[in-house]
Amino acid sequence: MTSMTTADLLAERTARLEDAYALRQPDRVPVFMPASYFLAGWGGISHQRLLEDDDKRQELLEHAALHFQPDTIFGVFNDPRASQAVGDRMTKFPGHGLPESGSFQFVEHEFMTPDDYEPFLRDPSDWVVRTYLPRAFSKLAGLALLPPLAMGAFGTYALFNFGVLTRPEVVAALRALADAAEGQAACDAWNIQSGGRLAALGFAPPPLVGSLIEAPYDFMSDTLRGMRGVMTDMLRRPDKLLAAQDLVLEIQLEHAIAHHRATGQRFAFIPLHRGSDGFMSIAHFERFYWPQLLSMQLRLIDAGITPVCFYEGVWDKRLHYIADLPRAATIGWFQASDIFQVKEVAGQTLCIIGGMSNSLLQAGSVERVRAVTREVCQRVGAGGGFVMATGIGEMEGCRPELVEAWVQATREFGVS
Amino acid sequence: MSDELVEAIADMRDEEAIELASRLLDGGTPPLEILEDCRKAMAIVGQRFEDEEYFIPELILAGETLRSISEVVRPRLSADGGAAAKNGKIVLGTVAGDIHDIGKDIVSFMLDVNGFEVFDLGVDVPVETFVAKVRELRPEIVALSGFLTLAFDSMKETVEALEKAGLRDGVKIMIGGGTVDDTVREYARADAYGETATDAVNLAKAWTGVAA
Repeated sequence: MTSMTTADLLAERTARLEDAYALRQPDRVPVFMPASYFLAGWGGISHQRLLEDDDKRQELLEHAALHFQPDTIFGVFNDPRASQAVGDRMTKFPGHGLPESGSFQFVEHEFMTPDDYEPFLRDPSDWVVRTYLPRAFSKLAGLALLPPLAMGAFGTYALFNFGVLTRPEVVAALRALADAAEGQAACDAWNIQSGGRLAALGFAPPPLVGSLIEAPYDFMSDTLRGMRGVMTDMLRRPDKLLAAQDLVLEIQLEHAIAHHRATGQRFAFIPLHRGSDGFMSIAHFERFYWPQLLSMQLRLIDAGITPVCFYEGVWDKRLHYIADLPRAATIGWFQASDIFQVKEVAGQTLCIIGGMSNSLLQAGSVERVRAVTREVCQRVGAGGGFVMATGIGEMEGCRPELVEAWVQATREFGVS
Repeated sequence: MSDELVEAIADMRDEEAIELASRLLDGGTPPLEILEDCRKAMAIVGQRFEDEEYFIPELILAGETLRSISEVVRPRLSADGGAAAKNGKIVLGTVAGDIHDIGKDIVSFMLDVNGFEVFDLGVDVPVETFVAKVRELRPEIVALSGFLTLAFDSMKETVEALEKAGLRDGVKIMIGGGTVDDTVREYARADAYGETATDAVNLAKAWTGVAA
């Protein structure tokens, strides 16, 4: 291995991951290390600095990659620049509403009320710009003063309404939008540069590069109605909820397909939140969650996109739905499902990511980590279609010696 | 007792239930009787949740129905509300640094409908607040919830603070939520962990000697 160039290593690791995605047997089980806040502990810096100091973060990411030698590694999803610029009410970042070493948290609100279904269904873009954005982002309050967006169709006469754009609240909102755009563009540029530098060191890209979308139910729950809102809608106004889900399905597909065409990136990452065991009955799941998510995945596949679902929580009672997806066309990252059962039920259908519990890497022992890794490699890695990773997409608090034991044991026991 | 009211609440006919409660009150039914019907309905909802017939949407709607009925009933209630006997006190909260409330709220609901007196301290509860509340209330049980992995450490610190304050021996501690498992239980030195709200109820009943 010492004689291999970084280009050879990149090719080898990429092939290993591609084999796993395609349900073929790779030379050994690949390891995906979604490091995130682990890098802060590893480097002795705060979470805030990890998110906001690009150079330091990259240094730690490369250091961790070279030290632990996973096949692919991932740092952090996003920095707070854009959120700060618009006064984002639904996120809390370390150092912004949280201690400097707090963990990013999503704060659900009911930004959309039951009465908003009608205007949302009638004209979603207008409702989003003039009603939703001012509610969800404090610095975009001025957008509420805009005339109906479709008044733009009044051509030259629409210009008669442009005076409102000089109102201080509107000016402030437009500036905030421009600031957020710049912040996000800087973050995107860094992410591309970071991936390039890791590739130059021989590390393959993680299976997350692409668009970010959500199951239509989760879209309605996470950023619009809130979980309480959407769950009462299931019982009080199911038809409206279903109509809105159909709408956000189409909007998200349009976005994901356009993103794919513009960037050539092949994945659509779909973190799933409320469809796991325990949130809703199977009858409700079959009416409100799965059909829409299934349709989303099938249409992404038709467009040449690989859906990567993060199956948060436990899906043990719902694995047979997953097993019916088209073979080798999607990827599933499983947080807390019984990974052996996932393999048994859906192992012939999709590549499985996961297998190592975060708690074991935080509070276990080298012996236990090795024993679990061995069993997972042997049973879930059998026949291919498996990428070893932690259950959660960030490894805060994991102990370096246990992470080392885990990656090493995968290299040792993951060989077919 | 009004079977009609109990059924309307338990069967998720919320608007009908609220209207019926108002009508019963106007017709002279004692407020306490209506609250007792609510309690019975909630016990049915809890049982259906344990039986996996109901899930979170039904718990949320039942909770909202109960709140709406309470708003109508409370003003007509005399000062001594006649609280039902409770099986034991439980101090519960999501640990420091974590603001997730879904799991905690379900556990709180289920413990409450199973006759426990639940003191819900909310989310992101500082270690000192748990210690102060345990000192003040002397509960039989402390229940710590957490979704984030950082909660493992907050749980450990909370248990250690109770030890330091000399309060650990008097209580049983259960933990749960997110990725909490037996490794975390061992790490945090809690007495037990649970994966579901039903686990929490069974643990609480076992620890307080209530027949399951």
